[in-house]
Amino acid sequence: MTRRAAAALCLLSLLALAACTGPQSALDPAGRDSATLSRLFWFMLAGAAVLWAAMNGLMFYAWRVDPRPMSVRGARTLIFAGGVVLPTVVLSGLLGYGLSIMPDQRAPGDGLRVEVTGEQWWFRVDYWPDGAAEPIRSANELVLPVGSRSEITLKADQVIHSFWLPSLGGKTDMIPGRVNRMSLEPTDVGEFRGQCAEFCGESHAWMAFTAKTLSPDDFAAWLTAEAAPAAPPRTDLARSGRDAFMAQGCGGCHAIRGTPARGQVGPDLTHLGSRLNLAAGALEVTRPDLIAWITDPSAIKPAARMPAYDHLDTGTIAAMAAYLEGLR
Amino acid sequence: MAGRDKPDLPAHRSLFRTILAPTVWAVHFLFVYGFSAVWCAKDWGAAGTLSWSITAATLLALALIVGLAVAMWRQWDYMDDNDYIHDLSTDEHRREFLGHAGFMLACLSFVAVVFSTMPAWFAGTCL
Amino acid sequence: MTDLGEGSPRLDSRRRDLEKDQAHVARGTYPPTEESLTRPIDPEEAEAQADRLRAVWDDPPGWRYWSAVNNSEVGVWYSMTAFGFMLIAGALALVMRLQLAVPDNELISADRFNQFFTMHGSAMMFLFAVPMFEAVSILLLPAFLGARDMPFPRLSAYGFWAFLIGGVFVMGSLLFDAAPSSGWFMYPPLSTLDEGLGTDIWLLGLSFIEVASIAAAVELIVGTIKCRPPGMRINLMPLYAWYVLVVGAMILFAFPPLIAGDFLLELQRSLDWPFFDPARGGDPLLWQHLFWIFGHPEVYIVFLPSIAVAAMIVPAAAQRPMVGYNWIVLSAVGTGFLSFGLWVHHMFTTGLPSISLGFFSAASEAVVIPTGIQLFAFVATLLAGRVKMILPMLWIAGALAIFTVGGLTGVMVALAPFDWQAHDTYFIVAHLHYTLFGGMVFPLIGGIYFFYPFIRKRTLSERLGRISFWLTFTGFNIAFLPMHLTGLRGMPRRVYTYPGDVGWDTLNMISTVGAFVVAAGILVFAWDLVRPKGAPMSTRNPWNAGSLMWSHDIPDQFWGVRSIPYVTSRNPLWDQPGIVARMDQGGYYLPDAREGLRETIVTSAIDARPQLVARVTGPAWCTIWAAVFTGGAFIFPTFSWYLPALLSGIAAVACIVWWLWTSTALIPERPMKDVGLGLSLPTYVSGPSAPGWWGVFITMLGDMVAFASLIFGMFFYWTARPDFPPPQAEHAAGGWVVASALLYTASWAATRAARPVQRRGRVPLAQVLLTAGALTATAGAAALVLSVSGLDPTSHVYPAMLYAVAVWTAAHTVAGVVMQLYCLAGTVWGKVLPEYDAPVWNTVLFWHFMLVTALGSAAAIGLLPRLL
Repeated sequence: MTRRAAAALCLLSLLALAACTGPQSALDPAGRDSATLSRLFWFMLAGAAVLWAAMNGLMFYAWRVDPRPMSVRGARTLIFAGGVVLPTVVLSGLLGYGLSIMPDQRAPGDGLRVEVTGEQWWFRVDYWPDGAAEPIRSANELVLPVGSRSEITLKADQVIHSFWLPSLGGKTDMIPGRVNRMSLEPTDVGEFRGQCAEFCGESHAWMAFTAKTLSPDDFAAWLTAEAAPAAPPRTDLARSGRDAFMAQGCGGCHAIRGTPARGQVGPDLTHLGSRLNLAAGALEVTRPDLIAWITDPSAIKPAARMPAYDHLDTGTIAAMAAYLEGLR
Repeated sequence: MAGRDKPDLPAHRSLFRTILAPTVWAVHFLFVYGFSAVWCAKDWGAAGTLSWSITAATLLALALIVGLAVAMWRQWDYMDDNDYIHDLSTDEHRREFLGHAGFMLACLSFVAVVFSTMPAWFAGTCL
Repeated sequence: MTDLGEGSPRLDSRRRDLEKDQAHVARGTYPPTEESLTRPIDPEEAEAQADRLRAVWDDPPGWRYWSAVNNSEVGVWYSMTAFGFMLIAGALALVMRLQLAVPDNELISADRFNQFFTMHGSAMMFLFAVPMFEAVSILLLPAFLGARDMPFPRLSAYGFWAFLIGGVFVMGSLLFDAAPSSGWFMYPPLSTLDEGLGTDIWLLGLSFIEVASIAAAVELIVGTIKCRPPGMRINLMPLYAWYVLVVGAMILFAFPPLIAGDFLLELQRSLDWPFFDPARGGDPLLWQHLFWIFGHPEVYIVFLPSIAVAAMIVPAAAQRPMVGYNWIVLSAVGTGFLSFGLWVHHMFTTGLPSISLGFFSAASEAVVIPTGIQLFAFVATLLAGRVKMILPMLWIAGALAIFTVGGLTGVMVALAPFDWQAHDTYFIVAHLHYTLFGGMVFPLIGGIYFFYPFIRKRTLSERLGRISFWLTFTGFNIAFLPMHLTGLRGMPRRVYTYPGDVGWDTLNMISTVGAFVVAAGILVFAWDLVRPKGAPMSTRNPWNAGSLMWSHDIPDQFWGVRSIPYVTSRNPLWDQPGIVARMDQGGYYLPDAREGLRETIVTSAIDARPQLVARVTGPAWCTIWAAVFTGGAFIFPTFSWYLPALLSGIAAVACIVWWLWTSTALIPERPMKDVGLGLSLPTYVSGPSAPGWWGVFITMLGDMVAFASLIFGMFFYWTARPDFPPPQAEHAAGGWVVASALLYTASWAATRAARPVQRRGRVPLAQVLLTAGALTATAGAAALVLSVSGLDPTSHVYPAMLYAVAVWTAAHTVAGVVMQLYCLAGTVWGKVLPEYDAPVWNTVLFWHFMLVTALGSAAAIGLLPRLL
C-alpha cells in the first residue's frame, strides 16, 4: 500500500503545488519569512486534515454505523481526551512555535532602508541609502536586494492602507499618524506583485505594486541609475510631449527629476518608463495604456484623484505618452 | 458524612464564586496586556525585565486560581460519593454542581493563564 | 407558619435574612407535598379556570393584533423580520459574487460594490445574527422554562419595533444609493472622511438597534435567572438557558464599547471633535480597539446560541440526556470569558508590539479548548445513545462538519505570524463563512426544523428539508472551500474587481457557481417555511424530547403553560411521568387568573424557590410609539435635524414614563395570593427579589462598561500619543469639578436616604429628600459642564475627550433626575406607598451607578490629566 499511497500523495502535492504558484501567492515563497510561513501552513493543514477526519469520522460512526451505545464512562473519557488533553497539548506546541518565529519575522533590517507611504490609491516609495540626506523617490514599485534584510518604514497619508508582498512575507498596516515598520529578506531573484490589503475606498482594488528582487550587484547598479535625473527626450514627438507636459501644469503634482516638474502630490515619474506597472497596477507602461490613463483616469480607477485630460487633442496626449514612456 | 447532610452555606449558592477563576484570568490578561503596552509605548526598559514582571503576575494569578480550585474541589466533594452527575433538585446536587463547574473553570483558567505567559518568553520583544 | 425549606431551621433563617427587606414573603408549603401533587382535580372548576386564563392571555382581535406583546407573537415577528433581512443581505452577496465571477467585470460600480459588501456584513451581523438569537430566545425560552411569558413582555415588543424601524432605515438607504460604504467595521479615517450620509446612517441606525439588542439581552438574562419554574435549580436548567445566560452577559459587556465608539465617531462627524484625527492628537486605532472589543465576542454571541440549539437537538436525536452537562456549562462560561481576550487578533497587522500580539494569539488558542469540549460532548452523547435519523440532526451534523473546518482554520489564523499572510484575504472570508455557516446558519435551520412543530403546531417537509440541506451543504463547500486557496494566492478582501493575470479567475468562477447553489438551498427552505400546510399535528412531542417545551398545547393557547409545574429533573418529560397531564389539568402553580391579570411566577436566582406572583404587562400601543419616537431621536440627527430629534427624544421619554407608570409595579389589590399546592406568594416585591430591580441592575452593568470604554479611551491616548495631554494644555476648571463631585454625592445620599424614610411612612420627608436629590443632581451636571466650558473641543483630542465624558455624564443625569421625579410623583399620586416602593429601590440602585459615573467623570476630567 505504502508505495502506491506515496505516489498518489506525490502526485496530489504536485497538483497542489501547481495550484499554489503565482506572482502574488503566499504559497510560492521567494523570501525567508514567506518560506517559513508557507511551511507552517502545510504543516498545520496536514494536522487539521487529520483532526477534521477524526472528529467527523466519529460523528459518522455514531450516526450511520449505529454501534452499541457506549458506556457513560467511555463517553466522558472521550470528552476529556478529545476536548481537554488533545487541544491543550497540540495548542501548547503550536502556540510556542508560532510565538517563537515572531521575533525573527520582525527582526530589524541590516541592509537597505526604504520608506513606503500609502496614498489614495498608490504607493510612494523612498529609498534611503546609507548616509543619504534625501531619498531616492519612486512609486508603485519596490526593488530589493537578495540576501540581506531590508528595513521598511510604513506611513499613510489620508486613510489606512496595508502593505503586502505575499511572495516575500506578511503584511503590515499603514496608518495615518503612526509610523509602522517591517522587514523583508528576499532569497530568490524574481518579479512579484503586491497589493494594498486594507480597504481604503473606491479604488482599493486598483492599489497594487510590482516588486523586483536583484542580486546585490545588480541592485547597486539599479539604485545608481534610479538616483540619476530623468533622461531627456530623444524624439521630436517626445520633446513636444515634454513641452505639453510642462505647459499643462502636470509638474504641479508630479516630479520628474532634472526638469522643472517638482510636484509631490502624485507619483514621481522620473523613471516611469522602466517600471513594470502604471497607475498602481491598473495598467502597464505602454503607449496605449498611457494614452488611456491621461485621457480619463477615473474611467480606469474610480474616483482617481488625477483629473481627466480629455479636453486635449489626441495628438498632444499621444506625444505626452511618448515622452513618459521614454523616461527610462 | 453523606453529602446530603453537609451544611449548605451561602457561598455554596454563589454563581459568582464559580466564575471567580476565569475572572482572575481576565484581570491577569488585562494587566499583562496593559502593562506591556505601556512598557513598550513609554520605553520603560529592557524586554527581559518586562518578561520577569509578567511572570511574577502569572505566579500570583496561578496561586489564586489554585486556591480557588481547591475550594471548588471541596465544594464538589468528589471523593465523598464519586458523583459527577448532579441532576437532582437538591441542595447537595446544586452545591456539588457549582463546585464541579467551578473546579473545571479553574483548570481552564490555569491553562489560559499559562498560555498568556508564553508570549513573554517566546516573543518577549516590543518590536 | 412558613415552612419553606427542606433544610434545618438555622438555614431557613438565613434564607429569610435574604428577604429581610420584603414587606411580604412567601408563606405556606414548599416544596409541594406528594399528596398535593396527586390530589384529584374537579374538571368543571378546571374548565372555568382555563376559560379565565384564555381570556386574559388571548391576542387582541383584528387590527389591534399588532399591539400584542406575547412572546409567541413578538418572537415570530422578530424572527421573520430578521430572516427577511438575511434574504436581502444574501441577495447582495449574490450580486457581489456575479461581479467577481470574471476579472475586470463592470456589472456594478466600485461604489455600489462597496455599499453592498458593507451592508452585507452589517446586515448579517446586526440585522440577522444577533436579532435572530434574541428573537428565537424570546420565542422559545419561556417554553423551556415552563413560564407564561418573558418577565417584561412590553420591553420585547419595544425591542422588536425599534429593530424593525432601525433595520428598514439602514437597509432602505441602499435604495437611495446612499448606503454606508466604508465596510461593516467603519474604520476611520475612511469613515470620517466619507462625505455622504452613509456613515451617519450606519452609526445612528445601528446604535439604535444595539440599544434594542441590549434591551433584549437584559430581558433574557432576567428571564433565565428569575422566571424558572419552582424546583428548577441552576443545576437543572436546560442547556439552552445556560447559553442564553452566557450570551446575554456577553452582549452586556460587548455592545457597550461599540456604543461608546459610535458616540465618539458620530461626535467627530457631526461636531468635528477630533477623536480619530491624528493631526489634532487623535488616533484611528482607538476605534479599532473599541470596535473589536465588541466584534470578537460578537462572533461567539452569534455562535453560542446556535450551539445551544444543537444542545437541544442532540439529546433528542440520541434519545438520552446530554453526557457531560457540567462540561458543557463549563465550556459555555469559559468561552464567554475567553472570547473577550481575542479582540486584537483582528488587529495583528496594525504594528502593535510582538509581545502584545502574543497575548491575543495565546487567548485565541486557549478558546479552542472549551469549544473542543463542547463539540466532543455532542459526539460523546451521540455515541452513548442510539441515534435516531431525524432531519434536524442532519443539519446539525452538517453544521459540525463545516464548523470544524472553520475552527481549524481559526487555529491557524490565531497564530499572529500566519495571520500576517492570511489577514484581509479571501482565506479569512472562507474561514469566517465556515464558522458562521457551521456555527449559525446550519444549526439555526436545523433548529427551525426541530422547533417548528412547537411554534406552528405543524411539521415542515422532510423531503424539502433534505433537498435544501444537500443543496446548501454542497453549494456552500463549492463556494467557500476554494476561497482558502484564492486568499493564499494573494487575493485581498473587499476588492470590487481584479486583473485576469494573477491566477484568481477560475477559483472565483467556481465560488460564484457555488454561491448560487447555496441560494437555491436557502430558497427551498424559505418556501418550505411559508408554503401553506395542512392540518395541525396529532402528537405534541414529535421528537420524543425531554424538555418542558414539548408539553405545549395543540391547538395553540396563548397562556404559555396551563399551570406552572414543579420541576425536579433536567428532562421532566422523560423523568417525571404524568407531568404533562397534571399541567394540563391545572394541577400545579397558578392555574387560574381570577383577577383578570397576566401573571407568572418569579423564583430565586439559584435554587428557584418561589418568591413572587409577577403581574406582567399586556398588549399596548405605547411601546410602539416609544419605539417610533426613540427611532426619531436616533434617525433625525443623520440629516442634522437636531430640533426634531430633541423633540422626538422627549416624546420617547414621555411614552416610556407613561408605559412604566400605567403598567409596572401596580399596587396590588391584596398583598398575598394563593398560587395553589398550599403556597401563598406576595403579589408585589421591591428590591433584589423583583425582576424590575434585576433589569435596572443588568442594564446599568452594561452602562458601566460603556463608561469604562470612554475612560479606556483616555488611557489609550495617553499610551499611544506623546502629546496627551498636550504639555501646555488648558485643564478643566478644578473648582467646578470639585463642586460637581460634591453635588452628585449629595444627590446620591438624599436619594439613598429617601428609601428607608419612605418605607417607614415618613412620606413628606422622603418627598423633600427626593426633591433635594433632583435639584442637586441638576446643579451637579451644570457644574460639570461649566468646568469644561472654557475649552475648545475641536482644537485637540484632549479637550474633546473631557467634553465627551461631561456630555455622557450630563445625559445620564437626565435619566437620574427623571427617575427621582418619577418616585416623587409616585409618592404624591399613590403610585408609591410605604410598603409598595419598588420604584424607589430601582431609583436608588440607578443612583449607585450614577454616583460611580459622576465621581469617575470628575476624576477623569479634573484629576487624571494633572497626574498623567
